Amino acid sequence: MTKRLTIFASIIALTMAGCAADMAADPSTGGAGSQSAEPQLPESVSLPPPPPAQSSTSEYGGFADIGGDGDGEIIVTGARIGDDNNEHPNDRHANRRQDYHDREKLAEEEEARRAAISAELDGRETERQRRRSEILGLDTQQRLLSENLYRDSLAKNMASGSIGHSLPALASDEELWIISQPADASADLRDAAGPGTGSLIVETPSRDRNRPPEIVPLPLKHTAVNATIDGYISSVDVRQQFHNPFDTKIEAKYLFPLPEKSAISGFTMIIGDRKIRGILREKEEAEAIYDAARAQGYRASLLVQHRPNIFEQKVANIEPGKQIDVEIRYFHTLKYEDGWYSFVFPTVVGPRYNPPGHADPIVPAAQGRSAASSAATTVEYLRPGQRSGHDISIAVDIEAGVSIEEIEATHPIETVSVTQSGAVVMLADEDVIPNQDFVLRFQVAGEQMKSNLLTYVDPETEQGYFTMMLHPPAGTVDLERQPMEMVFVIDASGSMRGTPLDQAKDAIRAALDQLQPYDTFQIIRFSDNASQFGNAPVPASPANIALAKQYLQGVNSSGGTRMVEGVAAALQFPHDPARLRFVSFMTDGYIGNEFEILGAISQHIGDSRIFSFGIGSSTNRFLLERMAVAGRGAAAFLGPMDSGYDLMSAFFNRISHPALRDVAVDWGSMAVSDVYPSNLPDVFVGRPVIVTGKFLGPAGNVTIKGRSGTQVATIEIEPAADERARPMLAKIWARQRIADLVDLRAMGGYTNDPYFEVMIRTTALTHQLVSDYTSFVAVDASEQTAGTYGVTVPQAVPVPAGVRYDTTVPE
Amino acid sequence: MKRLTLIFLTALAAFASEVHAEDAAPRFVAVDVVLISDAPVAAWQFEFGGSSDAVRIVGVEQGESKAFGDAPYYDREAIRLGTADRIVVADYSTADSSYLPRGAVRIATLHLMITGHSNEAIDITLVTAVDADGERIEASISATPQTGSES
Repeated sequence: MTKRLTIFASIIALTMAGCAADMAADPSTGGAGSQSAEPQLPESVSLPPPPPAQSSTSEYGGFADIGGDGDGEIIVTGARIGDDNNEHPNDRHANRRQDYHDREKLAEEEEARRAAISAELDGRETERQRRRSEILGLDTQQRLLSENLYRDSLAKNMASGSIGHSLPALASDEELWIISQPADASADLRDAAGPGTGSLIVETPSRDRNRPPEIVPLPLKHTAVNATIDGYISSVDVRQQFHNPFDTKIEAKYLFPLPEKSAISGFTMIIGDRKIRGILREKEEAEAIYDAARAQGYRASLLVQHRPNIFEQKVANIEPGKQIDVEIRYFHTLKYEDGWYSFVFPTVVGPRYNPPGHADPIVPAAQGRSAASSAATTVEYLRPGQRSGHDISIAVDIEAGVSIEEIEATHPIETVSVTQSGAVVMLADEDVIPNQDFVLRFQVAGEQMKSNLLTYVDPETEQGYFTMMLHPPAGTVDLERQPMEMVFVIDASGSMRGTPLDQAKDAIRAALDQLQPYDTFQIIRFSDNASQFGNAPVPASPANIALAKQYLQGVNSSGGTRMVEGVAAALQFPHDPARLRFVSFMTDGYIGNEFEILGAISQHIGDSRIFSFGIGSSTNRFLLERMAVAGRGAAAFLGPMDSGYDLMSAFFNRISHPALRDVAVDWGSMAVSDVYPSNLPDVFVGRPVIVTGKFLGPAGNVTIKGRSGTQVATIEIEPAADERARPMLAKIWARQRIADLVDLRAMGGYTNDPYFEVMIRTTALTHQLVSDYTSFVAVDASEQTAGTYGVTVPQAVPVPAGVRYDTTVPE
Repeated sequence: MKRLTLIFLTALAAFASEVHAEDAAPRFVAVDVVLISDAPVAAWQFEFGGSSDAVRIVGVEQGESKAFGDAPYYDREAIRLGTADRIVVADYSTADSSYLPRGAVRIATLHLMITGHSNEAIDITLVTAVDADGERIEASISATPQTGSES
């Protein structure tokens, strides 16, 4: 069996390196690979002649309409697999990371490159338009026909009173903090996709708390999550089961979150026993293919990214009573803090605040009230008292590599099996409502985790990839603390009302209690606008701290989340060079203009460090994590049951004692390029930094140097001793590269620079990853379903636990 | 290495002179790929290529043998707007020989989208097939559009 696996793996991996991770093949084992790198069959092997046209030996009938001369011609040809002439643009730009930060020095090269890219884009855009017009030709007519049919149906139903009256006007509640409203809330056609029959309309729910929840019929029935953890790398399969509970054909649409570092590389549509692997294509083309298939009645599915942590799944032509599943595979790295690894699976997209004029909002809407604007991405929320039939199951298979001492989770879990270094845990049956992040933490043995280096070399290209978890050296815990200028920025918008705001206040109180008289501090609150405790940072005297606590007492939540105001207020005042400035944001991050925030941080960060606290059950982890990266700090997250005071106490102790600053790396024998994060942050005790990059040459020891107090500290890191192949490291690297490019584009103000789009698109296509510019599409071309494609049913979701519906979702 | 060329005659050919290309809706067609081998097949690999960018692969489905339960994997040689699709499709099974398929067996179904009016061709080239011991075996490949799948 071992031999067979080795040979199979070698055969497949050498030509399939791009999907080797998905196949769980081990391309590094065995030396047989070189045999199969050459795709020519041995001369001693003769292939039997092909079956003649129209007389196939298979049971699947003869050859139909065989080629040019009509005889099913079989031609012996040379192979082109393994052909390395198609040099990828990614390689041409492999060493350009430094260029990002010094664009002026590369002006000449840049100009030439831009000209080339511009020419390429022009050509591709022309082609794209031609193809779209082809693909959408007849589809448009069908769509218009359907819209007319739908409008007629809607008019008849309204006249008969079966679907109530016109859609309600938006509430004028002064606490409503969603101010980016749909242009025309009364139009709910959604691309001819509004409810088309009475059966799809949900009546206004009962608000009587004593009544059982009203079950709203919706397409998403179940989400099954199966994760495997190897050290700090997780491979996750997510299976979404869509069914059609209605009496007419539907298209299901579901906006859902995934961890922000997810490298999505697998996509399969499952119809009964049939499994159809989706194809990653450029986003516009994938959408056009999906639209064409949908319009013609073919079952199809499409996965599109709206944010690095928000995705949309569409499944077309689900017939009444039928089910179509979609399975997604992604990889990501786990977070490690103070001896604990965290596996996070977010379950719901929180309602976002969208500043006026924001070009790409994510708009919250009540169930059945999706925005009419096709430009808006809408999340529909169930009202209080409503439930969908959607539930979730989660199973996590952990192999930590070191002894596991304890396991805990935000939800009830059942431990199925345990070994010294592994465990299998499952979400308990009684808690399956997907309305808050599932966080599984496991504590590993050892007082001092060692830094480690994992490597993988693609056997076909000989390109190496690495991931390094960088821990500070031992003995740095008791460093003398330096004077601090502490700036607390508290989100006081409507979505923070209640427990989240209380937790944020507790966290600030905890930090205030730890400040020393030689420190200074400031408190800034923001919602629709920003205000602050003092005109300038004040000394942390007992009197000032007492006044600050009184100030906190008076902070209430209302209004929108104008975080840009908070960022500007926190970073734009003069910095005292004698103190380390730490800016601590406390927010749920429920905003739609994340990149505007990151751009503002980048513009004003200076020497400050940012520590972001995500507060709530379904925090916008993408924003909080990227804020911390942009601010060379760290992020922490507070669940609804966590103590803000305790978490801040522990966190404050860490951030006030950076173990390693001004970190530099000597890569030794490895010729390293494209390292992410490109700006290495400070390293804190118990909070390692994960670094990923590419390399050529042999993997060898790496030396880390940095300032630890007044001393220079050095860490030697050896490559992992085990010989397991980890092809997913290439995908993790690619995902980080895309994240870095996205950050840089936002932070550098290069929104309209085509260079970034080309680089992101190329990286995503090369490594088969979903991105802003690439999407998975799958079509079942074997059968057309009858009739038009029916109506679109958005999957409404519960508001996250702890978030008030009435202050966040417009009715 | 043997290459099979399959040409799809457009259903609209008779009307080609009357219909402008931009009016044509894309067609979808499913093509069964059959491997023929006297020996049990434990792993296989073929290359698919379209004659132009009018032929787009939109899905890869698993075959009929339960020894190959999942959809086959693919590696892109070229899937890029404006270029003809060219991918390598492969799968393997660790099942015992007695469970492995032999004879003529459908190993995959390719789901395609075809635009325009012109006759389009696809190439399917068997790269390799091996038995349970990892030894190459004699095999050939054929491809057949499913009846009625084309719109």
